[in-house]
Amino acid sequence: MTAATAPVTTGVPRISAAQQRAERMARIRGIIFAVIGLAGFSFASGSMGSDVTFRFWIQEQGGAAWEIHTAAGLLWILAGVTTGVGGIYQLWKGASVSWRRWMALALPFWIAAIIGTLLAGKPAVMTNLFGGSLEYAFPIAMGAFAAMICERSGMLNIAIEGKFLLGACVASIAASVTGLVFVGPIAAILVGVGVGWLMAWMAIRHRVDQIIAGTVVNFGALGLTNFVYLRILQLNTDINTPPTVEAIKVPILSQIPVLGPVFFSGTPYLYIALITMVVLTYMLFKTRWGLRLRASGEYPNAAGTVGVDVIKIRYRAMMLAGAIAGFAGSYLSLHSAGSFQMNMSAGKGFIAMAAMIFGGWNPIGAFGAALVFGFSDATQTLLSSLGVDVPPQILTSVPYLVTIVVVAGLVGRVRGPAMAGIPYEQG
Amino acid sequence: MSGLRKRLRPLLVPVLAVLSAFIVGSLFLMLSDLKHLAMIPTDPIGALTGAMGDVINAYRALLLGAFGDPAKFALAFQQGTPKAWTTALRPITETLVAATPLMFTGLAIAVSFRTSVFNIGGDGQFVLGALGASIVALAFRGMPAPITLVAALAGGIVFGALWGFVPGFLKARTGAHEVITTIMLNYVALQIVQLALRTDFLRQSTNSQPISKVLDFVRVPLLIPLPGLRLHWGFIAALVVAALISWFLFKTTKGFELRSAGQNLTAARYAGMSAGGSIILAMVVSGALAGLGGAFQVMGSVTQMSNDVNSGYGWTAIALALLGGTRPGGVVAAALLFGALNNGGHGMQVATSIPLDLLVFIQALVIMFVAAPDLVRKIYRLRPPKPEVVPAATEGASA
Repeated sequence: MTAATAPVTTGVPRISAAQQRAERMARIRGIIFAVIGLAGFSFASGSMGSDVTFRFWIQEQGGAAWEIHTAAGLLWILAGVTTGVGGIYQLWKGASVSWRRWMALALPFWIAAIIGTLLAGKPAVMTNLFGGSLEYAFPIAMGAFAAMICERSGMLNIAIEGKFLLGACVASIAASVTGLVFVGPIAAILVGVGVGWLMAWMAIRHRVDQIIAGTVVNFGALGLTNFVYLRILQLNTDINTPPTVEAIKVPILSQIPVLGPVFFSGTPYLYIALITMVVLTYMLFKTRWGLRLRASGEYPNAAGTVGVDVIKIRYRAMMLAGAIAGFAGSYLSLHSAGSFQMNMSAGKGFIAMAAMIFGGWNPIGAFGAALVFGFSDATQTLLSSLGVDVPPQILTSVPYLVTIVVVAGLVGRVRGPAMAGIPYEQG
Repeated sequence: MSGLRKRLRPLLVPVLAVLSAFIVGSLFLMLSDLKHLAMIPTDPIGALTGAMGDVINAYRALLLGAFGDPAKFALAFQQGTPKAWTTALRPITETLVAATPLMFTGLAIAVSFRTSVFNIGGDGQFVLGALGASIVALAFRGMPAPITLVAALAGGIVFGALWGFVPGFLKARTGAHEVITTIMLNYVALQIVQLALRTDFLRQSTNSQPISKVLDFVRVPLLIPLPGLRLHWGFIAALVVAALISWFLFKTTKGFELRSAGQNLTAARYAGMSAGGSIILAMVVSGALAGLGGAFQVMGSVTQMSNDVNSGYGWTAIALALLGGTRPGGVVAAALLFGALNNGGHGMQVATSIPLDLLVFIQALVIMFVAAPDLVRKIYRLRPPKPEVVPAATEGASA
């Protein structure tokens, strides 16, 4: 196409600057992958003798198990080969190669090789590792969905963290006072909607910068929940001992060997996250609501011109996001910890934003990113439970570093909604 | 008279914002007062007056904790002993100690806001500045104290500036949104600090907590030679830095470029200024200021590096920059106010056992009211102001 539009006199097809850049990046990427692959390969010789066991429970925790035995060296070879071949292929074919597929192929081998080497012969219980990843992933995925709905509508929402805290606090109190589990999440949703409305009202009605509005909510939620905890909950522990949400085994499906204990023996929260992912994907990309929402975030003036009420859409998006984030907050107090604790979200709201970006503002991608981040958490738990001395800080930093790399476009740029964070003036 | 009025007018909204925040705060204080809430069915008037009395007591304790007790000052004048003076001066000096890091981070954020860069990474830059100062101080241990101190302060500046440079560079070169990158870098900085505190070089081996060796050998000189008072030269340094930043922003070409980039990036570009350069410079200066604040904190107010050397100074700084209208003088005033709130909060917590965290909530409310001036004007039925230049911080900061 570029050849057709190029001036005829030059005779050679011209390449645009963007294409040139892409080719250059592809070359750099190819070289980096090839070198990393070689490095992985070089680890193999030293670890051929060390055994690795991956254990999956077939039905029950501690019951019959299915095990894979292999040598750490073999895993390193596989990691090195997949990465190296991917790099060479990229060098050969240039920018047209989908490097993400190669990464997706090579990454599991890398993780397996690293874990296998670190464990040094102890068995890795993969059922717990995968199940744990899903558990950790839930709040992150839901937070990412919430942030995504806002950004798709053109609102930058950095207050997921604050909504988690408020949701957790309110859910614990509501469920404790009434003694009914389901009241907790409902109360958390209501509070989330309220806070979402407040943010939208500040940002749209009073022109408060959206980042400032988010800061207000994060800061205020932290102060308020700490205050409530110290002033009320600490002295009256009976209103901070909620009935907890227990795991439910899905009939039939949980009986599937190996997969059942991982996917179908979790809490209702997990199933809700999966349903939300599917419904949200459909809503965003297949319905009129989704089209209008995305139009508000990409080109609000055009949307406004054809009669879409951008303001109303943004209000509703903020409230829906508040509901989702508040609900996810209830998970923290009603499941993970069994009560509300001060600052218990511990930065998960910001990791959720990271997952949204890493997942390319797309529900399925965000869920995948949340799983990756959850996996790094679960790995950390596994390693520390087996007494492997790896500084946890390195694994903890991974989601943050990955996000920086991704937003900077160093590895495969992702692009968010064009108008996220920019106020819309109704003409 | 009218001249004075004109001069006081810009103060109206901030003052009313603080007032409103305290009113809302007292509502929450009353709503969380279970003892008096339980009295409502039997004795509603007693419950109300009792709750209000508690609120007044709390705010009184806050004031005494922040500025000191006049009775103790009188006693100090009578007795004239160092001990009496220490007791009298302690609250007000502690307020200044609490304000010092806030002044640095507030100025840092104000510089970035002026350039329309949203530096949310004050926290990370602050802790890394503190870490850098600790590392340099320990490395220079044994050298003459003044040299070590200057080197350590420089270390804090460099570490902070580096942590500001990264998001600035990424924004200028790749367009990566600085809000996202600085938030992420905050967490990375925390992890770096924790990792560093595991090393034998930094860690105090006798302590089971991850805390560094005592840095008292490079302690920033104290301002008042009375035992028990922590006020150090870092406070004066903060005032000097504020004056320097004011001069830099409003009297130098580079400062003008930064402000131009903040007000209208496109226009600045057409005028031949380097937008990317301005963004990077603003972030480096911003990071350096926050890092210097961290250095003074770890060698002045506290003497050991630990995970909690920073208590949300980077986030509070956003409030300060807004409250002070992104002007250095305003930021200093706002930092003194918030220092008084934080320090007075301690007094309140001790005297009335009302959690200090109420002040965090009140500070959030202050940001909200300051950021929404038309809301404040509506509540108090003020006339709208004459059209003026919109401060950079509230305009297009996320572009």
